[in-house]
Amino acid sequence: MRNRTRSGWRAVFTWVNLGALLIALFVLVPMYWLIASAFKTTAGVGAYPPQFFPSPVSTANFQAAFGEYTFGRYVLNSVVVAVCATTLVLVLGTLAGYALARLPVRGKYPVMVSLLMISVFPQIAVIAPLYLIMRDLGWLNSYQALIFPYTAFNLPFAIWILRNYFLGISMSMEESARVDGAGALRTLWSVVVPQVTPGIFTAGVFTFTACWTEFLMALSFNQQNNMRTIPVGIATFGSQYTVPYGTLFAASVVAVVPIAILVLVFRKAVVSGLTSGAVKG
Amino acid sequence: MASTQVAPVNPASLPGTQVPPRVGRDRMTRSLARMGWGFASPALVVIGAFTIFPILFSIFVSFENVNVTGAGFSFQGLTANNYSIVLGASLWHHALWFTTVYTVVTVVVEVALGTIFALVLERMTQGRGLMMAILLIPWSLITVVSAELWSYIYNASYGVLSGVFHNILGQPFSATVALMFADVWKTTPFVTIIVLAGLVMIPSELFEASEVDGANGWKTFWRVTLPLLRPTLGIAVLFRVLQAFGLFDLPYVLTTGGPGTSTQSLAMLGYNTMFTNLDFGPGAAVATTTAVIVLVMCLVFLRAFKAQVGKETPNA
Repeated sequence: MRNRTRSGWRAVFTWVNLGALLIALFVLVPMYWLIASAFKTTAGVGAYPPQFFPSPVSTANFQAAFGEYTFGRYVLNSVVVAVCATTLVLVLGTLAGYALARLPVRGKYPVMVSLLMISVFPQIAVIAPLYLIMRDLGWLNSYQALIFPYTAFNLPFAIWILRNYFLGISMSMEESARVDGAGALRTLWSVVVPQVTPGIFTAGVFTFTACWTEFLMALSFNQQNNMRTIPVGIATFGSQYTVPYGTLFAASVVAVVPIAILVLVFRKAVVSGLTSGAVKG
Repeated sequence: MASTQVAPVNPASLPGTQVPPRVGRDRMTRSLARMGWGFASPALVVIGAFTIFPILFSIFVSFENVNVTGAGFSFQGLTANNYSIVLGASLWHHALWFTTVYTVVTVVVEVALGTIFALVLERMTQGRGLMMAILLIPWSLITVVSAELWSYIYNASYGVLSGVFHNILGQPFSATVALMFADVWKTTPFVTIIVLAGLVMIPSELFEASEVDGANGWKTFWRVTLPLLRPTLGIAVLFRVLQAFGLFDLPYVLTTGGPGTSTQSLAMLGYNTMFTNLDFGPGAAVATTTAVIVLVMCLVFLRAFKAQVGKETPNA
């Protein structure tokens, strides 16, 4: 930490790696505890002193999550909502991002600033009115009760990300396509969109992750057991007095691993999304 | 839909323009602008219908006398009572105090710790990709899962930490610290990634020049790294403050606002008022005041940030 000179690299190397190891442990030890506890028996979960390694290793929690509890249904609900909302966000966000980046639309600046404001607005501010509206529409306990608000709340960020990518590509190809007489939508689809696929991946992974993890709206609008999403299902496992931690962690592992893999596969896209604010200023 | 071929749709505009080449340009611009609004409007309509309209409706509800019966909701006229009920209640005062303290402490700790982590990672010659992958895990974790995990760790009878700290969640102070720690664990990696992106953009010649001048690592950090990192840290603080102020998931699951109501955030108070007590008017008043506070903070931040950036540009 103290010396940046290259001559002392050996010392620096050791200290830096020790620091990195501590950071990795800080993140991974609680994660290990989550996964290890998912494989403990009910007795193992409640044991004190705690079992640092599950013995015996048991998959009973996974069976209970999908058998005794209707966790499979929660997974289905989350998949339907997240896939629909992500698709909508990408289609609408690409169109809007392109328009706000490339077309001579007046009033872009106020639109972009309002989008930024909306994307940081606390969700609690819309819960009461949306609940009353959805109640009138008969939308409570339905997929659309979550798909549309998720789409609306994730669109601003997606539009910002995609707009930045559209601003970064060359305009000559789309102009020549336009001169060749290709329609605007076809030009966008076959000439422009292929150049911004990294941006689409970034916006897609962010939206999907946000939908997969969202809790407040899902808790408020879809209270019925068969319409709960994964976070609501996990939060309402068990009763007020006993929490079946083993089953709960087994369900959590099933819920968390796919999204972790998705994020790790699209690591570059995620990091570019996270840092776009910092880089653009 | 509207391709440029169909641009001359409005012959009435012809007499108003003088130079023929400009006519074509303006027509094309106008038709492209129309197309632009056509492309943008589906997104803007969805955003408007599910965010802006509810926010306005929420302000209306917060001034309404809402009557809840088995048959449904009805509005019984305008009132300022919701606000006087909320703003005078000690529950609201406590929630505001708790949320503010929570936000300030977690953001300060996370930004400081995130900066230290980023400084370590920036010096890594190998394995930085692996570290980034590890840092992304807590970011992608469902907050509810993280809350359940920490509630197991903190559990009074068989939690791993119960041998060291007795009944962490049983006392208001230790429960608050426990919540903050769970937040720091989940969010510091996010701050680290942002700060690291800012760090790697600083030209390395500046560090070398500072070393040539004889400054040690500590001096270099305060004189070179930190000032250049300020815009990045500003963004990180803004994101975190706005997010932390809307705190809901973590205390809802980990402490359920307890013991008592000592860890009840503003968003939780709003939610409980609406869905547990079915007081939609006062609930909307809590939500609206929270939103106004966030909006004011956002504007103050943007102002301060602009002023700061403006001050730094001439020097650069």
